[in-house]
Amino acid sequence: MDGIHDLGGMQGFGPVDVDHGGHVTMADWENRMWAIARTTGAPDWTVDWWRHITERLPPHVYLDVPYFEKWMLTYTTGFITSGVFSAEDLLADRDPTANSPDAPRHDLTEVLEQLRNGTSSTRKDIPDAPRFTVGQPVRTQADVYADHTRLPRYARGRTGTIIAHHGAYLLPDLNARGVKKHEHHYTVSFTAKELWGAEASAVDTVKLDLWESYLVQTG
Amino acid sequence: MTRFDGEEAAQVHRHLHAHLPSDPALRVKALESLLVERGMVAPETLDAWVEAYSEHIGPMRGAQVVARAWTDPAFRERLLANAAEAIKEFGFEGHATGNLKAVANTPTDHNMIVCTLCSCYPFSILGMSPAWYKSSEYRARAVREPRKVLEEFGVSLDPEVAVHVWDSTAELRYIVIPERPAGTEGWDEARLAAIVTRNSMIGTHRTLTAEAE
Repeated sequence: MDGIHDLGGMQGFGPVDVDHGGHVTMADWENRMWAIARTTGAPDWTVDWWRHITERLPPHVYLDVPYFEKWMLTYTTGFITSGVFSAEDLLADRDPTANSPDAPRHDLTEVLEQLRNGTSSTRKDIPDAPRFTVGQPVRTQADVYADHTRLPRYARGRTGTIIAHHGAYLLPDLNARGVKKHEHHYTVSFTAKELWGAEASAVDTVKLDLWESYLVQTG
Repeated sequence: MTRFDGEEAAQVHRHLHAHLPSDPALRVKALESLLVERGMVAPETLDAWVEAYSEHIGPMRGAQVVARAWTDPAFRERLLANAAEAIKEFGFEGHATGNLKAVANTPTDHNMIVCTLCSCYPFSILGMSPAWYKSSEYRARAVREPRKVLEEFGVSLDPEVAVHVWDSTAELRYIVIPERPAGTEGWDEARLAAIVTRNSMIGTHRTLTAEAE
């Protein structure tokens, strides 16, 4: 989907609001939303479906609302479209004394342990041999038909060089629809000139991590 | 069951945005209250998660990894070969670092990390991402005009120094290994870690100095 989320290379944005500090300060509601995101969800959600829900925000909302408000809208829409609760449930008055007696209580030590054990990867060995090898030039697909894809607009129909093969990972385009299919996965390096034209730096590059079906053989 | 229907999601978004209170704090409160009422989460558990990320998981972790890479050549080799495995030596594995690549700056090459499609970040070693990293400005411009963006961070590069922008489009996450500054010979890991800035590990800071900022 050519959505508003696909920002790479889009022009008209102003300077970056830089900071040099090490500690990120967040408002209480932002922290709460982050914690909700780490602890709840529907059992059959996939990370790509979750990303696609965000991509479906109205474009003006996507650009306007604070970052963690997008998360609130994404999680809420996710719960509603999974039948966990309805929009009316959310908008109704709440019982202020509710305290979730049956929900699991975890303290800091348990949370830190869960975090350490939460490391994950969808990498898997598959019988198909990789179609491309390191050093090989490839071109990216010019057209994308999937609702969700990780091939950004700015890198479509461009020629680059495979610089790494990582094995097979879940293809996001299908994972966003709840369909699990592993596909070989590569890092592809593009010159700045290939992506942005003759006036770009002669030495700069952009690297993207791309799935095999995003790529076609050149020449 | 999830229906995985993008059109339905778009309709729900429009409905919610029109009917929810406009204050994001009230929006999140409404969600938390409903989840608590439904028994899906306990407020105390949310408190613990907030504390974990605000007090215990942050860029000091990445800084320790960088400091060891500076002092221990064998570790540096392991880190560059498979960073996801190497950070387990510290117990720093976890959220969003199951596939991790370390990219090292050199006098002729500068590395910089972005996620143009969303906001992917190696949380378990760098903690919460700074606001600018998630901003439309950074996401739009980092791939197209990285040198102008770097100038805004105070980084001026000679034209012959190559800028490599890594767009985190997949499960792989990145950490930049900045160059060790002169004047730090003989320092131990803890002292070195104190001068490694978060931005240097994302690639929007290049020249570290022997004095912490």
